[in-house]
Amino acid sequence: MLKITDLSARVAGKDILKGVNLEVRAGEVHAIMGPNGSGKSTLAQVLAGREDYEVTGGTVTFEGRDLLALPAEERARAGLFLGFQYPVEIPGVNNVYLLKAALNAKRKAAGEPEVDAYEFLTLIRQKMKLMHMSDSFLTRGVNEGFSGGEKKRNEVLQMLVLEPKLAILDETDSGLDIDALKVVSAGVNSLRHPERAVVLVTHYQRLLDYIVPDQVHVLSGGRILKSGDSSLAQELERRGYDWVLESQVA
Amino acid sequence: MNGALQSSSAVPLSAALRSFAAQWQARAADPLSAVREQAMRRFLDLGLPTSRDETWRYTNLRSLAAQSYVDAPRRPRGGIEPNFALSLLGESERAGSLALVNGYPSLPAAGAAIEGLEIRSLRELARVDPATLLRFLEPLSDADQKRWGLLNTALFVDGLYLKITGRVPLPLLIQHVATGDGDASIAYPRIIIEAAPGSSATIVEQHVAQGANTPLSNSTTQIALRRDARLEHYRVYATDAGATHIDALDIRQDRGSQCRQFTIVLGGGLVRTALEARLAEPGASLDSFSLLVGHEARHVDCVNIVTHGAPDTSSTQTARAIASDASRVIFNSKVIVEAGAVHAQSQQSCRGLLLSPTAEIDTRPQLEIHADEVKCAHGATTGRLDPDMLFYMLSRGLDRTTAQSLLVYAFLADVLTGMSVASARAAIEDALIAQLPDSQTLRNFR
Repeated sequence: MLKITDLSARVAGKDILKGVNLEVRAGEVHAIMGPNGSGKSTLAQVLAGREDYEVTGGTVTFEGRDLLALPAEERARAGLFLGFQYPVEIPGVNNVYLLKAALNAKRKAAGEPEVDAYEFLTLIRQKMKLMHMSDSFLTRGVNEGFSGGEKKRNEVLQMLVLEPKLAILDETDSGLDIDALKVVSAGVNSLRHPERAVVLVTHYQRLLDYIVPDQVHVLSGGRILKSGDSSLAQELERRGYDWVLESQVA
Repeated sequence: MNGALQSSSAVPLSAALRSFAAQWQARAADPLSAVREQAMRRFLDLGLPTSRDETWRYTNLRSLAAQSYVDAPRRPRGGIEPNFALSLLGESERAGSLALVNGYPSLPAAGAAIEGLEIRSLRELARVDPATLLRFLEPLSDADQKRWGLLNTALFVDGLYLKITGRVPLPLLIQHVATGDGDASIAYPRIIIEAAPGSSATIVEQHVAQGANTPLSNSTTQIALRRDARLEHYRVYATDAGATHIDALDIRQDRGSQCRQFTIVLGGGLVRTALEARLAEPGASLDSFSLLVGHEARHVDCVNIVTHGAPDTSSTQTARAIASDASRVIFNSKVIVEAGAVHAQSQQSCRGLLLSPTAEIDTRPQLEIHADEVKCAHGATTGRLDPDMLFYMLSRGLDRTTAQSLLVYAFLADVLTGMSVASARAAIEDALIAQLPDSQTLRNFR
């Protein structure tokens, strides 16, 4: 589904990604872990199409298409979703309007008619219930005045409504208490499907107790240094990242 | 007929000033002549304001000064059919509507009285009760933001006096029609609104143009709110690029009175609006909202001066300016807290949004505090659309134009949500949306 080959990228004149290779197949859940400043968030943003992040080398294909040639909005319509580490507050733009516009943009791209207003409300209420969100989220501005945890739940809500083929969740677990973590994990797990894939970018192993990945990668210094199955996450939790870095040097 | 007046200024009079002096000479004497003559003398001595004057720094009037003006006609050719008007209040949504053509009012028939409102023409008021009218014309001021007001005082022929005597539940619509008949002309609309103690009303003034050769409109509205009176006042400009408006709004508030004022500029070529408010007695409060949209080569210059002249007074100013193409928008605001006005509270929030590299926005919030124990805050920011917000919306699959339009619309929300007249708000929203790139999608959002 997603094939990243030798990807390099630069942010504000600084090389951050230095040759990332990664392949994610349909049905899989991958976790990308690594110390602070290793390039995890940059990778997520580059995949979503952030313009001020400059790709300096390599290729990315998404279902056989050249992902890097598409603008951000077309990547989204093609089925890619980025759950932001820091979801943006947009006062004055209603949360539900945005979601409806997003869903309709996707449907339009797929040649489907716009969603019926009643049908949409039913859908969104059902997903909000799953995410333990109150009706007040319907009327508020996008992420406006939301707590850290509410913002993350809102990201997952958007993902559930848009049903992407590939969801990249950038530190969706950070800042969540244990109850919120369970809710968010249940949301992500409900999306697991043989035709979908999930990439979790995370700092801690904690999330992976609830969403068990098929593969775990360690990203450091802009490269993937080590890959393994879910037991790698536990080993990282026990031994820290230094161990991976040192084994590379040796 | 008045006598000829000489200017004491050493500088030769501009074509405009000479033509104003000629208008003065042609006016018939009336019970206001003494104050009018003083006003005309002051105006000729001081001349038109220039960019050296504090509140005119950003607006150059040289091209206006080079023209000669005649009085704009009292009546339109045919009926009143503006080129474009926002449908701010439907017939069932308003207490009534009045039209002023170039400042000349047509009053409702005797049977069509509106409960809680006394409506007179200024001509009639000057005849039957000149003392009331003189109270509003005096004292004269040399302040540069009042310069055109001097000319209005000298030369207005008629106008409207509204006395709000009770609670008027529905809004009153006043339509200002600017219409010319060939030569460069000028109109002097004058409105005086007096709200009696404890009264309340909503008044919507809309400026529209009819035909080509729109006259220069030099309008003045004065509002006096007596004890505990409440008023929501709108002035809306939706004329075409050929229209020039120089408008001054004066508000005086007595004890416990509350005023909400909206200045909405969606059209016009050169629009200069001034708001001068005086919170004269304890407990008076003013919330002012400005929504200024620059488009094409439009020049919008908005000046607010709010004076806290008594303890426990409060004011807020919320201004949102947008400039696209090669337009220029200015928001100049000043809050003055006079000595003794303890516990005054004021807040100024000015935000500008630039939508093109050739557009310009200037905001200047100022504070002048002469009292202790006051709470005054101000903030001003001008920038482009936030790239993080834009990327967030694009990453959800929205079209770029839709996302941009939504952000522009959201930027204005603080002013729009303050409007309590739902139909006026809807019409203003519609007009705003129509000026945004992806109006169709935005309509679906509402």
